[in-house]
Amino acid sequence: MDLNFTDAELAFRAEVREWVRTHLPAEIAHKVRNALRLTKDDLQRWAKILGAKGWHGWAWPKQFGGPGWNAVQRHLFEEECALACAPRIVPFGPVMVAPVIMAFGTPEQQQRFLPGIMSGEVWWSQGYSEPGSGSDLASLKCRAERQGDKYIVNGQKTWTTLGQYGDWIFCLVRTSTEGKPQTGISFLLIDMKSPGVSVKPIIMLDGEHEVNEVWFDNVEVPAENLIGEENKGWTYAKHLLSHERTNIADVNRAKRELERLKRIAKTEGLMDDQRFRDQIAQCEVDVVALEMMVLRVLSGERTGKQPLDVAGLLKIRGSELQQRYTELMMLAGGPLALPHVYEAMEAGWQGDQWLGGAWIGGATHAMPLTGTYLNVRKTTIYGGSNEVQRNIVAQTVLG
Amino acid sequence: MDFDFSEDQEALRDAVRRFVDKDYGFERRRGIERAGGFDRGTWEGLAGLGLTALAVPEAHGGLGFGAVEAMVIMEELGRGLVLEPVTQGALIAPAMLSHAPDDLQADWLPRIAGGEALVVLAHQEAKSRYRLNRVTTRAVDGKLTGVKSLVPAGDQADAFIVPARVSGADDDAQGIALYLVERSAAGVHTRAYSLHDGSRAAEVHLDGTPGRLITGPEQGLALLELAADIGIAAQAAEAVGVMEKYLALTVEYLNTRKQFGVVISSFQALRHRTADVKMQLELARSMSYYATLRLGDAPAVRRRALSQAKVQLGHSMRFVGQHCTQMHGGIGVTDEYAGSHYFKRLTVMEMQWGDTMHHLGEVSARMQDTAGVFA
Repeated sequence: MDLNFTDAELAFRAEVREWVRTHLPAEIAHKVRNALRLTKDDLQRWAKILGAKGWHGWAWPKQFGGPGWNAVQRHLFEEECALACAPRIVPFGPVMVAPVIMAFGTPEQQQRFLPGIMSGEVWWSQGYSEPGSGSDLASLKCRAERQGDKYIVNGQKTWTTLGQYGDWIFCLVRTSTEGKPQTGISFLLIDMKSPGVSVKPIIMLDGEHEVNEVWFDNVEVPAENLIGEENKGWTYAKHLLSHERTNIADVNRAKRELERLKRIAKTEGLMDDQRFRDQIAQCEVDVVALEMMVLRVLSGERTGKQPLDVAGLLKIRGSELQQRYTELMMLAGGPLALPHVYEAMEAGWQGDQWLGGAWIGGATHAMPLTGTYLNVRKTTIYGGSNEVQRNIVAQTVLG
Repeated sequence: MDFDFSEDQEALRDAVRRFVDKDYGFERRRGIERAGGFDRGTWEGLAGLGLTALAVPEAHGGLGFGAVEAMVIMEELGRGLVLEPVTQGALIAPAMLSHAPDDLQADWLPRIAGGEALVVLAHQEAKSRYRLNRVTTRAVDGKLTGVKSLVPAGDQADAFIVPARVSGADDDAQGIALYLVERSAAGVHTRAYSLHDGSRAAEVHLDGTPGRLITGPEQGLALLELAADIGIAAQAAEAVGVMEKYLALTVEYLNTRKQFGVVISSFQALRHRTADVKMQLELARSMSYYATLRLGDAPAVRRRALSQAKVQLGHSMRFVGQHCTQMHGGIGVTDEYAGSHYFKRLTVMEMQWGDTMHHLGEVSARMQDTAGVFA
């Protein structure tokens, strides 16, 4: 047993840290540090910088052009990116569809799609959820009918995160209604510029346009865009879900955001308020416990002795913690966090000048805090709601 | 970074588990509890396994093992709700005495290693709560006068490690020295009682009692703080064992008990609660590892980490204890069922070595700008 990283791992960390801090544009880091609104250009700029280094697909094996890092190295990379205030890498391409293409795609599909994902040129979206299929995803209805060398797709996907920027979308579609719902699902890659694809914004409770509805109206998709075999899509999707284990806890971001919480609390004079300070202290304990759980999993991945069936535990705990610290940030802002000013989420916004002075005392830093609080209510809902996760955990404990 | 146990550590775990299963079954434990909560024969049995030699340096007939081995044995003792004060007698006493003058070490460490001598820490005072610096017991010319409370097996132990004040006011951080006091020494009076978990403790009165100096006032409090941190780490591991076994009992019950014509483990209200218990257990285990692996660090880092661990353990012990009891229904609140004894052990442990609120205050006071395992 040993808590510390090896010298080689520490050297790796230092190398990554140096590179990330040198190459991450300062204006993007500023936005992330203060939870301001990121544009498509911000996200893609960072993706392309990473892509040029071969790190946009940081978890990829060497044979597909990735760095071939082990679980600990991947964790250290993620941590350095988070602590440097890099934007979170949009996962749909490099983390979600790429591993499926690697595992189940043809060599032609791999050569066609993987380079554009690694380089950050091609923006991928995810087409899983439907209005009637949330936690019960296997009930999905979006239909793909084979006609010659094409599929004709009709139906609707929803909650498509950043789908307004999407070039391509990977979809679970129904190709059969025979047997169990899971057995009639296929995994299809669809060019979002195809005729019949339309994207409609869903404005969320924080007033932001982050997710979308994607509609398919007689969309023609070449059959060569099918991954693997028809009606095996559910199996491929489950493979995808099993792929990401520790990143789901988002503990690296939690560490960064706890630093931010302390900065905000200091600004508001709350670090001297014992009641508030103790709430932060509790978050600090929660972060250490979650990080230790993540490190246990990483250690298990390295040695192959996985002591813990954890994906569900990490998802539940990570999302709850994220909600807790954003709640405390909002409470730290207090009344100053109440104004909903759309421009306040833009970098460099200084507030209106009114009667020659700054608006509400110039306390513009507090305005985005409530928006963030509202936004992260999603984290216990998406990716398998925490109630579904509890079912999964209970299954492993109770049988 | 590596959280695997070595083969030797796994072998040690197996040996302790076999002992607990074979020689410390629930009925046997109940007998010990009724007889007062401490059994010298069990202590000798634990010594036979080598547990009392574990933390004693090899030069004094011990095994010189480290904190990870201690963690392994404490987890297993926790599973069996072993009442004998292993943390005190086998982990803390050797660690304290290793700082004593050579002759004192030579007199006591080999006997501790062999299980012939039980030496326990006697630090709690009626008004000190969890403040280690509050010491009203006085030492004048090596003669101690004062009252220590809740001393584990205090009427059975052969000697005590006693913090006593040689100078200053009752709350001063300075002026605390540690002494070894034999129970047979002049002026020692003990009065024993049971705690709610069935373990044995005693009030120890000292009236002009001679003690041998372990460490003087320049190191006294620092060493006492180390003792408390060893206690927290050991207790964290023990609590993991207690909680793991209580969850196992609960799972067995939920999968057996039928109501409304089905096993009650089919009810989602209970399934989700079970998932939450599992969560608290794994968070606690993670922090138990953290506590043990930080035990050898510099005092500032160590103290903060151990307080963080105790906060998590406090939450987990209360959550697991209360909810596993609830999920058993009526049988869970009876004396005859083993489960309630696990609950009581968890309840008592929160108030040993500082409760959750106390340690949250410590974490709060020691907070840095950064956060996390390596902050």
